[in-house]
Amino acid sequence: MIGCYDFCGHYEWTFAWVEKNFGHEALLSYWKEAIADDSQLHAARLIKAKGFAGMEEYWGHTLAEEGAGYSSIRGETSFRIDMHECPSKGFLIANGLAQHPDYCDHCIGWIGPMMKDAGFVVDHEHNHLGKCWWVFRRPDAPRPSSDAGSTAPRVENMPGWADHSTNIDRFDGATGADQKQTGGEDSSPSSSK
Amino acid sequence: MLPYSDNKPKGAGDFYFAINATFRFLQRNFGMDNLVRYWTGLGESIYFQPVADDWRTRGLPAVAEYWRDFFQAEPNALVEVMCDEKQVRVDVKQCPAIFHLRKNGRSIVPEFCQHCYFVSDAMGARAGLGARIEGGNGTCRQTFAARNSQAPQNLAAIRRAS
Repeated sequence: MIGCYDFCGHYEWTFAWVEKNFGHEALLSYWKEAIADDSQLHAARLIKAKGFAGMEEYWGHTLAEEGAGYSSIRGETSFRIDMHECPSKGFLIANGLAQHPDYCDHCIGWIGPMMKDAGFVVDHEHNHLGKCWWVFRRPDAPRPSSDAGSTAPRVENMPGWADHSTNIDRFDGATGADQKQTGGEDSSPSSSK
Repeated sequence: MLPYSDNKPKGAGDFYFAINATFRFLQRNFGMDNLVRYWTGLGESIYFQPVADDWRTRGLPAVAEYWRDFFQAEPNALVEVMCDEKQVRVDVKQCPAIFHLRKNGRSIVPEFCQHCYFVSDAMGARAGLGARIEGGNGTCRQTFAARNSQAPQNLAAIRRAS
């Protein structure tokens, strides 16, 4: 049996397997069809029905269950998450697992299409070391939103973010992993496992 | 002993949604043959190499230890593991994945339980061991023994999940 305890490990292996066997487009389809439309359909339903309140409800449950270190703030025109200890990427780094060149892309790979279906876009950066931030907003709302994260500590200002500024992936008003503006591959240690 | 460790004692059950959805995606888009190839490839992969190496080095006691630790870390698993000189028997009285998928009203890929055979048998092959499954759909018996000592797996003996 493959389990949920080490899920992030075989999930990451799966990205490499799908891409190697069926190509990058298949991996993008996997994130949308399997994860956004199937696995996480409860998230899609909540966010479509309740908007920012649904985002707060969904991530409040799932990030607590996964043991994330994060903060979030719900504003009038946006919802922001600052992730300073990603449990998923953290598991891979702690265990020296790196089969796919950019594991972090999977998040926008499923969240982006889900947000598009719900009528939102995504501003996002990740540093490939377990830190990232997200702003979800309507396409016609300004970026960055004036009401999101104005008082909460921002992950970009925390230690461990700027040290790797040359390898930060950025997405502006995006709805998919193929809309990356800058960045590179993961810089975590390669696995010998 | 598990090859990878987390800072939580148990995994998050909602990840079973993604495991089930991954199987459905591969089967729907690329066919059952490629879903089986995925399962076999994962079992043979570098990802499970630490497990296979331990089984090869320490034999059946390592197999029993692995499955005890594995199910200890899966939420809502009810499992009994027995080991003698010839085999390890894993009696799954409540499969944590089927339990969680059902509890949340998810449509389960009918061939879901076959992954336990294909992944485990591929893991065991590197250690000279084979896996056989009887039952499924929430409860099953998994037997690990020397590869040349077992009859071939009868896939019809693995129940369809629902």
